[in-house]
Amino acid sequence: MKILATVKRVFDTDGKPKLTADAKLDVSSIDCKLNPFDEYGVEEAVRLQEKGIATEVVICCVGPEEAQKEMRTALAMGGDRGLLVKVDNTESLDTLSIAKILAAVVKKEKPDLVILGKLSTDSENNQVGQMLAELTGYPQATFAFKLTPDAAGGWAIVGREVDGGTSDVKVKLPAVITADLRLNEPRYASLPGIMKAKKKPLEITTPEALGVSVKPAIVGIGYELPPARKAGIKVASVAELVDKLKNEAKVIS
Amino acid sequence: MSLCFDLGEEQLMVRDGVRKLLARFAPRRRELRQAMYRREFPTELWAAVADAGFMGAMIPEAYGGTNMGIMSMVFLSEEMAAFGVSHPLFALTSMDALCIVRGASEEMKRAWLPEIAAGRRKLAFAVTEADAGTNTFRISTMAKRDGDSFLLTGEKQWITAADCADYILVVARTTSRHDCDALGLPRAHGLTLFLVDPRAEGVTLTPMATGSIEGARQFTVTFDNARVPAENIIGEVDQGALPLFLALNPERILIAATIVGVTEYCLEIACDYARERKVFRNAPIGSYQAIQHPLAQVKIQQEATRLMTWRAATSFDRGDDLAQTGVWSNMAKYMASDLGVFAVDRTIQTLGGNGFDQEIGVIQLWEGMRLFKTAPISNEMILNFLAEQTLGLPRSY
Repeated sequence: MKILATVKRVFDTDGKPKLTADAKLDVSSIDCKLNPFDEYGVEEAVRLQEKGIATEVVICCVGPEEAQKEMRTALAMGGDRGLLVKVDNTESLDTLSIAKILAAVVKKEKPDLVILGKLSTDSENNQVGQMLAELTGYPQATFAFKLTPDAAGGWAIVGREVDGGTSDVKVKLPAVITADLRLNEPRYASLPGIMKAKKKPLEITTPEALGVSVKPAIVGIGYELPPARKAGIKVASVAELVDKLKNEAKVIS
Repeated sequence: MSLCFDLGEEQLMVRDGVRKLLARFAPRRRELRQAMYRREFPTELWAAVADAGFMGAMIPEAYGGTNMGIMSMVFLSEEMAAFGVSHPLFALTSMDALCIVRGASEEMKRAWLPEIAAGRRKLAFAVTEADAGTNTFRISTMAKRDGDSFLLTGEKQWITAADCADYILVVARTTSRHDCDALGLPRAHGLTLFLVDPRAEGVTLTPMATGSIEGARQFTVTFDNARVPAENIIGEVDQGALPLFLALNPERILIAATIVGVTEYCLEIACDYARERKVFRNAPIGSYQAIQHPLAQVKIQQEATRLMTWRAATSFDRGDDLAQTGVWSNMAKYMASDLGVFAVDRTIQTLGGNGFDQEIGVIQLWEGMRLFKTAPISNEMILNFLAEQTLGLPRSY
């Protein structure tokens, strides 16, 4: 079984973006890192390979040239090779563009499983996995906390986190899975892993070479900070609080 | 010679890896720290660090390591100390492994290095004697050949964590100083490096009356005709001085890195306290310059020491000559030893009476940090070395 695990280079959410005079985001001083949700996806793929269930794990990224760093971080966890679809202007990458590019990668690589993080911590859209399933015609199982493939039977049982609990679904392979936090505990890169990652092949291609033209349907026009919060007040009693919630805030009746 | 350096992609990955490794222990940070003050060996931490490949960081790939260099160990030492938990055997084992890498026969390398890289052999280090501290050549522990083995007799002092180690690297004389003088041989001649099992017959460990230094005990180690197989000799008989001295710079670099980390730990405690603690009116004491300025000074010294330490580590990893790496390593250790005492002192002062509460766990750092002005080499000897090496001034001793 072949697995395609996707990774994204995201801004460290501990960093503080600045706003420029023309309402653009200045992120130049913020470090980048591997999207944490993708670590769960990569970990799962690597574990399936260690168990002998997966025969090949390809780490795929759509992003700028610099994203090779995040790909090496993933390759230090495991996997066989990397495939970077280089797009330097990441502003032009909305979720549908990324999904279209990944669909072209899927067409070329023909994996049995595509594992993505359920969302990326920079934009938090939670859309690419679902769009990719639609574009490829593969079944999808999102928010996975448990993944049991039956490669020989051509199925996978996926435990999903849903509102109010969990549900198990059986999907036909090839399928798209998005990883949630409880899927596993991602490993940290070991020194031997880092050394091995250095030697793993990392192919760089472009959307054009894959026959995809990237025209974003969504473009960021401007950014502004949320309004500053006003100072709160202290209420003297529960009765006063209930009164204010009812009559001033009008959030309870 | 390049004055500057950048952290490479792999080095950043290593540092990130150490932080993630320690984050796994974060829920038990307090518990681990208390165990350290009880001087219990951090078995689980050792296993995790070894699994991540750090004990092979300075061992070539052919012998089960990665050869990624001392910079990896610098990150490990600094981050562990900043987390509040460390143990001298991490650095001592790496340093002993380096003696084997640089000095041992092919056969010995194959037998020992993969075991060390896998974390299965912890090594202590024994050179100091009651009458031979700074001057290693004065040691009098003797090893006499007896068939296929050697019999060791003598006494070592200040041997850190000898009780936790699987083997101790013991520096002994195979030619006495008297014989060296009589034969006109240099004083460096006649030293031999042995790997000795501390549980072997004829080896006695007696704990010394020291406090907790990095969570370890110090021992007097006595050898009374202790039998050591000849195959446990690193390199050639009588020729141990060179591999021994090659391992001293790494020790200084890793001590400096540890102190930079301990300083981070101190600043975390001091600043958390200074932001919360109110004595007069409603102002936290951290807003007083008498409190914040010294802490800012600690920060400056810490940053300078970190840079010097990284510089020394970079010099070591790129294979600069011994004396050049020695200059940076000694400067780093000197700066670090002042930093450590200053950081603990200012943290105690910030905490007031709480600084002396062992539950808070700062006062226990004092002894260990003060030690580094004295050991593994005194700061006065560092100044002698630097005056001679960098200023061309004549030697006084």
